[in-house]
Amino acid sequence: MKVKVFCLLAVFVFLLTACAPKSTEPEVVAEVDAMCMGAASGDEISMLYQWSGQEEERLNQILRPLVDTCGIVIKPESTRDQAVLDTRVTAGNPPDIAFWNVTQLNQYKDSLKAMDELGATKEAYIAGAIDPGVIDGRWIGLPVKSDIKTIIWYSPKNFEAAGYMVPTTWEELETLVEKMVADGKVPWSMGMESGDATGWTGSDFLQDILLVQQGPEYVMNIINGSVAYDDAGVKAAYELYGKWAADPKYTVGGAEGTLSTNFNDAILKVFSDPPEAYMVKQSGFAGGTITTQYPDFVFGEDYDFFVIPGAKGLQGGSDWMMAFSDKPAVKALVSYLSSPEGGAAWAKASFDLSPNKGAAGNYTDVSLIKKAEAFYSAEGFTPDIGDTIPGGFGSAEWTAIVNFLNGENLEDALSKAAGVQAEALGK
Amino acid sequence: MASRPVPKIMKQGKFAPWFYLAPALILMFFFIVYPMFNTIGLSFRDSNGEGSAATLCKEEQACWGVFENYRYALTGEIDKTSISAAWKSFWISSFGNTIKWIFLMVSGTVIIGLLFAKLVDGIKHEGLAKAILFMPMAISFVGAGVIWKFVYNYGTQRVQIGILNAIITALGGEPVSFLTATGLNTIALVVVGTWMWTGFCMTILSSSLKSVPEEILEAARVDGANEWHVFTRIIIPIIMPTIIVVITTMVINVLKQFDIVYVMTGGNFHTDVIANRMYTEMYINYNTGRGTAIAVILIMAVLPFIYINIKRFMAQEEMR
Amino acid sequence: MKRDKINKFFSRIPKHIIILFVLVIWITPTLGLLITSLRPVQDINTSGWWMILKPRDDIASQQNLPKFTLNNYIDALVGYRGTRNYVSDCENGTAPLDMRCNAADILNPRGMIRALLNSLIVTIPATILPILFAAFAGYAFSWLDFKGRTLLFAILVGLQVVPLQMTMVPISRAYSTLGLNGTFLGVWLFHTGFGMPYAIYLMRNFLGSLPKDLFESAYLDGASHWTAFVQLAIPLAIPAIASLGIFQFLWVWNDLLVSLVFLGGTKPVITYQIANMVSSLGAGWHLLTAAAFLSMLLPIVVFFALQKYFVKGMLAGAVKG
Repeated sequence: MKVKVFCLLAVFVFLLTACAPKSTEPEVVAEVDAMCMGAASGDEISMLYQWSGQEEERLNQILRPLVDTCGIVIKPESTRDQAVLDTRVTAGNPPDIAFWNVTQLNQYKDSLKAMDELGATKEAYIAGAIDPGVIDGRWIGLPVKSDIKTIIWYSPKNFEAAGYMVPTTWEELETLVEKMVADGKVPWSMGMESGDATGWTGSDFLQDILLVQQGPEYVMNIINGSVAYDDAGVKAAYELYGKWAADPKYTVGGAEGTLSTNFNDAILKVFSDPPEAYMVKQSGFAGGTITTQYPDFVFGEDYDFFVIPGAKGLQGGSDWMMAFSDKPAVKALVSYLSSPEGGAAWAKASFDLSPNKGAAGNYTDVSLIKKAEAFYSAEGFTPDIGDTIPGGFGSAEWTAIVNFLNGENLEDALSKAAGVQAEALGK
Repeated sequence: MASRPVPKIMKQGKFAPWFYLAPALILMFFFIVYPMFNTIGLSFRDSNGEGSAATLCKEEQACWGVFENYRYALTGEIDKTSISAAWKSFWISSFGNTIKWIFLMVSGTVIIGLLFAKLVDGIKHEGLAKAILFMPMAISFVGAGVIWKFVYNYGTQRVQIGILNAIITALGGEPVSFLTATGLNTIALVVVGTWMWTGFCMTILSSSLKSVPEEILEAARVDGANEWHVFTRIIIPIIMPTIIVVITTMVINVLKQFDIVYVMTGGNFHTDVIANRMYTEMYINYNTGRGTAIAVILIMAVLPFIYINIKRFMAQEEMR
Repeated sequence: MKRDKINKFFSRIPKHIIILFVLVIWITPTLGLLITSLRPVQDINTSGWWMILKPRDDIASQQNLPKFTLNNYIDALVGYRGTRNYVSDCENGTAPLDMRCNAADILNPRGMIRALLNSLIVTIPATILPILFAAFAGYAFSWLDFKGRTLLFAILVGLQVVPLQMTMVPISRAYSTLGLNGTFLGVWLFHTGFGMPYAIYLMRNFLGSLPKDLFESAYLDGASHWTAFVQLAIPLAIPAIASLGIFQFLWVWNDLLVSLVFLGGTKPVITYQIANMVSSLGAGWHLLTAAAFLSMLLPIVVFFALQKYFVKGMLAGAVKG
């Protein structure tokens, strides 16, 4: 077994040497057939994804049963450069499988295979999770790795020391923020620098404010274009966000701090000693950033999160699996990942959340368990506005936020973004 | 060409030159010319490369027909409300920034490179000094991004891990957000580019300095010229062809470079340059029509430098 | 040396101080990288790298951390992808499955040694081929007469500015037909083709500046063009070849996009491996400091190795006087 596992990992990590396991016991043949969908030992799947480092390690762990049983050889490639995927697809030699964002589903909808034809069932997923993956009536994307964004991280110890309580309504949150300011403490750490993607932390925050102030339907209307991005509701959300994100009393470093602090550094400012701020709104991955810097921290004592109170319809982001090929090995992969076993394996690997129903109850990491709780009890989800509107709205939205914080007039910033939104949606 | 006398050596069989040129021409045709024409066509089409660009026009808005993508590329960033607003917005547009890049970075790299090459010429540890200046060239962009984080980092209050702000705050100043302050940020990025490319200019200029015949310099000195005059009136004119080569190369590099902007600001805070804008349109916004139109403009921008080089090419042949 | 006299002028201003000043500015960012790469990850964000010798005033629980560590280098070399570090994982027996905690890990396909080999396989031919072809073409442009010479030269200058991104899709399509996607040959050819305009431009400028008499007299002695090319032009062009060599080497060595598109992740080069150390949300970037430093070493060695040829340029210059 040990030899086999090593062999297999060797395959994984790019060795071309063929060492596919051959042995299949007679009694498990039927099971193997069901799992492998006719894929032969040695069949290859080429994959392109944005994950690397630890993320790659976890994916390997999740896929191991499939590789073990069917002898499928996975040839993964990792990059965050969209030019690579785009060149391959446009040139007509795409990978068999890509894990990317919902934007790419839209972009490549004509080349993608339908998931139900590859052996996935919609019933395997929690309600609403696959909706963004249905484009023009075809289901072409499998949500594999999900994260909830509508949460706020804080330090229970610091809250206790200052006598603050976790807010349970949006009004309480606003009151808490004002109280902190009155106490001479900085409530938020908002840093959003992220190289070419600078601004996404801000757009996540804005969408959460919209969910609270206007509700999920309003957000969906922005996505379908019936509400323009310079509508009064959006403006109100920007004004609140601007009040918090541009003033050094409310956020670390004021507008300059928000714009030029890296999003990972911003997370750590809440946990430094003494703390620079008391709260940071960031997706679930923040837990990993915290434990890298502070390996001894205990979840629930030194760091914790709460769901933004009053947000109707959580903001959930998923990485999507899309298939450019329908060969048996790909079918085997799709049906494995959408099966209860696949969901369970995903949860056990602690690779964030899986919207697969099979994942429930299989999480082992404490902070993931709490996140999963919020995830499964949510009333509904709204996808990220910028990711979902095609044709460059995502970067236009970030530009609007960045320029607004950098001193541009709000009307101008929003009307430019609204122009891109209208153009993208053909309004 | 035919009217000019050719040195005897240059007369040869009709096909001989093409044997020397063939490998290069074939490769360049296949890898650059053919794909370029293949792609230029897309600049007259819509974002998916399907319909004509003219279909992108909207009623009651300016429209250049089939050149619509070029209209977007050229005027999209300009604030057209008034002449002064247009002028102001031009200088923070990708075109204005590219012009700033060309002037600042090309002059910076060439002047520092030339002076440094001259200064270290013949000193004891010349090789080591040159290697240090050259070192940034050897760093990949991923590494350079991290390096400069520790220079420009804007620490909010507790600690400055960027060395510039650490110096500023140690002197009692307020920390500066180098990458977000419009105007200053482009200069901050140009500094990174200059840091990376000065070694390149220095290396080429240094080997050219060393080939200046000593006799000529000696003759000038005998005539009573001081060293500054020897440098500016004799050495510089002699190595002028190399200087022009270096300038041309640097202009082309600056026009093409987008990595620094892409890695450090992503074109935000009014730091966009033409090459980064092309990348954004092509791969972030998936608008191949606009992306290729910007690329074509980029290619056009090099025309004046082609002219300068042809003139020098002719002059060099006249002289020898 | 007569050259000393030129330097006399510059010695009036404090020349060495200026040189030192420039060098300090140039080396500081890199020094920061070097020191950062030797620090534990927990320290990197909490104090500036120049504070390395100062005692920590931060979290008490981190006081027992060493100030310097080779962990970043070890992790980068063996391709460690866990959440702590290779050494402590191995001590506690919690190492990832692909780590065997012995010397064999250095050859881990995810580590840097294999990537270094792949990078060399890519870089060496992709440096030699363009120089070779450019020498031919540069000679033709300088010393042969043919129709359309000026026009071709003009096009050549212009072609240098064509952005790489514009050509990737058509070439990738052609490579699919030819079966060149994912092969070293495909990457060599692409780098050669793309490096060609600049290489020819530089070679032509150098070869064109050689004195006419040299070639005239060789010609009168009955030398053919081939002899003149091999025995005169090439030896004299050594400085140009050396500088071209180092730049082409660097360009290919530091390239990520071309190898990603045409070679892919199955034969990872060093830049791929470096980029791959950081997760999509920025975790693990401390490994990048060590990896970036390691990948710099070879180009620096190449620079030193070629430097004596830059000096040879001086001797070549003396010949023509």
